[in-house]
Amino acid sequence: MSLEFRLAKRNIGRNLRRTGLTVAATVFAVFLVVVFVAMAAGMHEKMIEDGVRIHSGHLQVSGKDYLKKRTLEQFVDLDAELLTLLEQAPGALGVAPRVIGFGLASKGASTQGVAIFGVDPQREGTVSSLPTRVVSGVFVDGEGRGIVLGERLARNLGAEIGDELLLYSVAYSMETAYDLFTVVGTLRLPEPALERTLAVISLADAQAFFAYGDRVSEIAVLAKDAGHVDALEADLHAVLAKRGGPELELHTWAEVMPELKQFIFIDDAGMYIMLAILVVVVAFGILNTILMSVLERTRELGVMLALGLKPGSIFRVVYMESMLLASIGLVIGLALAIPVVLYFQGHPIPMSEELKGAAQIIAMEPVITFKLKPLNPLGSMITILGVAALAALYPALKASRARPVDALRSL
Amino acid sequence: MLEATDVWKVYETRGVETVALQGVNLVIDEGEFTALAGPSGSGKTTLLNLFGALDVPTRGTIHLEGQELSTLSSAQLAHLRLQKLGFIFQAYNLIPVLSARENVEFVMELQGVPAAERQERAMAMLAEVGLGDMADKRPMEMSGGQQQRVAVARAIVSRPRVVLADEPTANLDSKTAEKLLDLMQEMNQRHHVTFLFSTHDPMVIEKSRRTVRLRDGQVVDDELRAA
Ligand SMILES: Nc1ncnc2c1ncn2[C@@H]1O[C@H](COP(=O)(O)OP(=O)(O)OP(=O)(O)O)[C@@H](O)[C@H]1O
Ligand SMILES: [Mg+2]
Repeated sequence: MSLEFRLAKRNIGRNLRRTGLTVAATVFAVFLVVVFVAMAAGMHEKMIEDGVRIHSGHLQVSGKDYLKKRTLEQFVDLDAELLTLLEQAPGALGVAPRVIGFGLASKGASTQGVAIFGVDPQREGTVSSLPTRVVSGVFVDGEGRGIVLGERLARNLGAEIGDELLLYSVAYSMETAYDLFTVVGTLRLPEPALERTLAVISLADAQAFFAYGDRVSEIAVLAKDAGHVDALEADLHAVLAKRGGPELELHTWAEVMPELKQFIFIDDAGMYIMLAILVVVVAFGILNTILMSVLERTRELGVMLALGLKPGSIFRVVYMESMLLASIGLVIGLALAIPVVLYFQGHPIPMSEELKGAAQIIAMEPVITFKLKPLNPLGSMITILGVAALAALYPALKASRARPVDALRSL
Repeated sequence: MLEATDVWKVYETRGVETVALQGVNLVIDEGEFTALAGPSGSGKTTLLNLFGALDVPTRGTIHLEGQELSTLSSAQLAHLRLQKLGFIFQAYNLIPVLSARENVEFVMELQGVPAAERQERAMAMLAEVGLGDMADKRPMEMSGGQQQRVAVARAIVSRPRVVLADEPTANLDSKTAEKLLDLMQEMNQRHHVTFLFSTHDPMVIEKSRRTVRLRDGQVVDDELRAA
């Protein structure tokens, strides 16, 4: 063990109370950083998963400019070959074609604006959670022009299961489209706005209703692994490129749901600013501790310099003291935070009633989840050590620049 | 061995000039055991610091073994202190976080003496100063006299040419001070190390073989005593 390291190690053992307080502050900061970052990661991942499961899928194939215009004019010509190719992509878990249009639904005297989702009854469940959200009756099965309504929409229309209602819209042919559908079920969604407008019919019924032929508005694709969407995206690009024909677009969930992407960005930014302030406070704690101990040791540093210890050595001793303090705090902080985070990763915390409302706005399940990514402890480590390195700079320079004569005089 | 030629030292603090040394001429030969005496403020510490390459004169020159110190860089001066000089200060000489043995080893470690040899020499030297059983004690656990003995051991063990000691007995009672002086004398003779130390203490002056008296930054008396 080098002389420098021995001096540094013993120096931090010298004032145990001061060292303890600084270490405790570092532990506290590391703990908060790891837990908060893991919570944000968990929540954001869950938001994405839930969002992806309600609308978009991880990836979406659509006609040119569909995302901008969202009319029947932007479509994908669906053939069995394209579906098969998409389904056979190695990273794809499910593929669901949909026709999406807008119209009016009437029952008796009441009329409501609706978003008409034409879904493939067999495939929709492989991508979205729509079929599982049915709370009364059944999901559409492609037989007998059934329609499933959002619960709020059903209530607003005064429609019950078994009732017939009239759907109006303008077809692809620009002719008026209208037809009778039988309510077969209602479903509940975490998003009230969507629940007030959603009307689900079968894909075949939708294609007939809108006089749409074999066209669909979008094909949603769910990835097997949320972490490997990029690879799937590349594969699907290749599939689409090979196919030729009219130009199709491929979009990720972040493009389909930019508001979610933005929310995550702002949420992250707020959290990192808070954590940065915390880390700066810890940095000043370390700076203060090291500076005080250097000032107390002026005489001793003078003796060592007079005896021939090089200023560079003094610099390194002081530096190591700071790094040691930070490392101890780091190790304890990680040792405390990682098990806590891993526990809650397996046991999500249910949200309080107040938070549930907020969760619904962004269409997510009301639980607090954690996710420990390797980058989290790694980043915390680099941050704390980096901060300790910066905090040590001034005291270390001050200590190494002392002139022995002055230092010896200050008894 | 040590030579001060027309040395002046003027301190300036906030525009106020203090003349600490005014034209000191002094030669210290090899093997001397010399006391620098004089009232407080007479310039003893200032002169020792100049001889110890810890400070530079305002005017005049200092030579150590024929080498003029003002021609050396600060790194060279540090090297010279490490190799040729031993220091004993008035108090708080020792590094508090190191044991007696580690303190004695400190300079040797900086000199690059291998660990085994270092330990052997340190233990032998601690035994010589009568502290063989205190090797693992920290300075806090030792009396002032014991600490100064460790400081003497540390100053000698690195085999310097000159040991400079600034009031090494100032914080000791007279009996302990006398024992320390006897020890220094013994070291001076046995290891042929030159000693130059400052003091106000008449007893310590008694024990020196040569006494140089300073007053107001000038040498006013230089007296040799029969051994
Ligand atoms: N760094 C400094 N700045 C300004 N003045 C100084 C400084 N060091 C010493 N002096 C002044 O120089 C003069 C000589 O001081 P020095 O410390 O050499 O005396 P001394 O003989 O060692 O005294 P003492 O017996 O009290 O230790 C004194 O007047 C002192 O105030
Ligand atoms: Mg003095």
